[in-house]
Amino acid sequence: MMTERCAKTLITMLALPALLLPAACLLYILFKGIPALDWAMLSGSSQASAFGSITALWPQITGSLLLMLGACLLAAPVALGGTLFYALIANVTQRKALLGIMHLLVGIPPVVYGLCGLIVLVHMLHWGISLLTGMVILAVIILPMLLMNSVNAIERIPGGKTEAARALGLSNGQLIRRVWLPAAWPGLMTGLLLGMARALSETAPILFTATVFSGVAWPDSLFSPVTSLQTHIFYLAQEGANAGAVDIAWASAVILIILVTVLSFGASALRNIRMDG
Amino acid sequence: MNTKNNKIAAIPAEVPQQVAAHNAGDISLHASKLSLALEGKNILRNISFSLPAQGINILIGPSGAGKSTLLRCLNLLHTDWCGELRIMGHHARCWPEGEDGLRRTIGLIAQKPTLFPCSIQQNIVFGLSRTERNHMPENRIEKVLKQAALWDEVKNRLHDQAATLSVGQQQRLCIARALMLSPKMLLLDEPTASLDPRSRQFIEASLLELAQNMPVLCVTHDIEQAKRLGGQIIFMCEGRLIESGDSKSFFKHPNRIESREFLQWSVCDCS
Repeated sequence: MMTERCAKTLITMLALPALLLPAACLLYILFKGIPALDWAMLSGSSQASAFGSITALWPQITGSLLLMLGACLLAAPVALGGTLFYALIANVTQRKALLGIMHLLVGIPPVVYGLCGLIVLVHMLHWGISLLTGMVILAVIILPMLLMNSVNAIERIPGGKTEAARALGLSNGQLIRRVWLPAAWPGLMTGLLLGMARALSETAPILFTATVFSGVAWPDSLFSPVTSLQTHIFYLAQEGANAGAVDIAWASAVILIILVTVLSFGASALRNIRMDG
Repeated sequence: MNTKNNKIAAIPAEVPQQVAAHNAGDISLHASKLSLALEGKNILRNISFSLPAQGINILIGPSGAGKSTLLRCLNLLHTDWCGELRIMGHHARCWPEGEDGLRRTIGLIAQKPTLFPCSIQQNIVFGLSRTERNHMPENRIEKVLKQAALWDEVKNRLHDQAATLSVGQQQRLCIARALMLSPKMLLLDEPTASLDPRSRQFIEASLLELAQNMPVLCVTHDIEQAKRLGGQIIFMCEGRLIESGDSKSFFKHPNRIESREFLQWSVCDCS
């Protein structure tokens, strides 16, 4: 009895930091960021003249969202194709190879992807520092995670369901649409949410490939550079001499957290949509 | 039961020419030297037999004999087998409507009822395309549910979730779902395993009824059930077809020592 109580206490003590540390970080960001928030930041009507303290954050918010959406739009079909290849076509060796490569790719630091993007896309292909380059690099970064999540979602479908559908003569297309998609939908949405959150939080790769600090409000085309919240925070945090800039960095962090939270709720709502065959 | 239609031939691998002795018009399925190896292990070894155009056929044998695997080969859920499989005169691999079309022609009901997360009615029509659903006769669902001996129990709750049915009812729903595709043959893999006696009785009765119009091949390792269903027996052990013949003579005078051993102890050693 005593041993059990000790074990419970020990486990609780170990688990507490997992909850408290992120909560403390979040509270501190909110504590510093909320007082710095200003409606003018969102309305875009106020612009301070000092370099590094432009307060209208719409361009950064738009840039972050465009990069995230573009990355997801590029990565999701490839991940889906990879998943269907894995589930319908690949033999055991090919499956192992595919998952092995994906595990390897997940482990590569994002800054390395950024460097590759800079060398290959920006310089060799002459795409320049641009929205498209950032989208492609972010898509490459989130692809392994999306694919592995999709594969897990498909593999969690009970084998009996697939077999019962096959025994009824359903074609591959019907099987995917009427059995796999409804059953794997929550898992697929979870994967997409994780991908979106990752794309919204990556900073190093887009520093190399997509973003500039200032001088850009709205991208004119896919080949225009953009600004983004995450790189904006990075730049402003280095403006130690300018207290206003650091305040805006905190406010930007709060907005970024709000964006991720909204996306998280949105994805949860999508998960709960029932897909009828 | 029509004995002419119930005749079945288990053909030892070494004398496949006996197959030719059957009248082609009476035979709906003919397997010759069917073999299958999975992960280096021989699961089926030179299985040869024919099914007549009507009647019930019982595939019996101890666990691990390869009975379920054989059914999955006949339905082309396993396609790595070698040998020859003819269904209604066509080579199974060259079926005019492809593999999916063949599976619609041969209904396969698994041991464990697998339903989709939708209503009873939606489950019944699950195998139909949208066009087929739109053009099916109004009383089609009632007809197949009656064939599966389920109509009286679900006629007022067709829009309820299928998961609310008992396991026995779910199994009959699976039979109805297969019948909805108007199959020419029905394969059942231990359809009454782990069911209560009443559900078992319902399913056995509906199988005997269905067998009057199409060949039904039912896997079981329950000797008593095999006796009740009658028809023709195919006895398998360790991937080999050991013996086959009329149910009465098989149970009274089994020819092979493995068959006698199985009937006495429910196990056999064919190695």
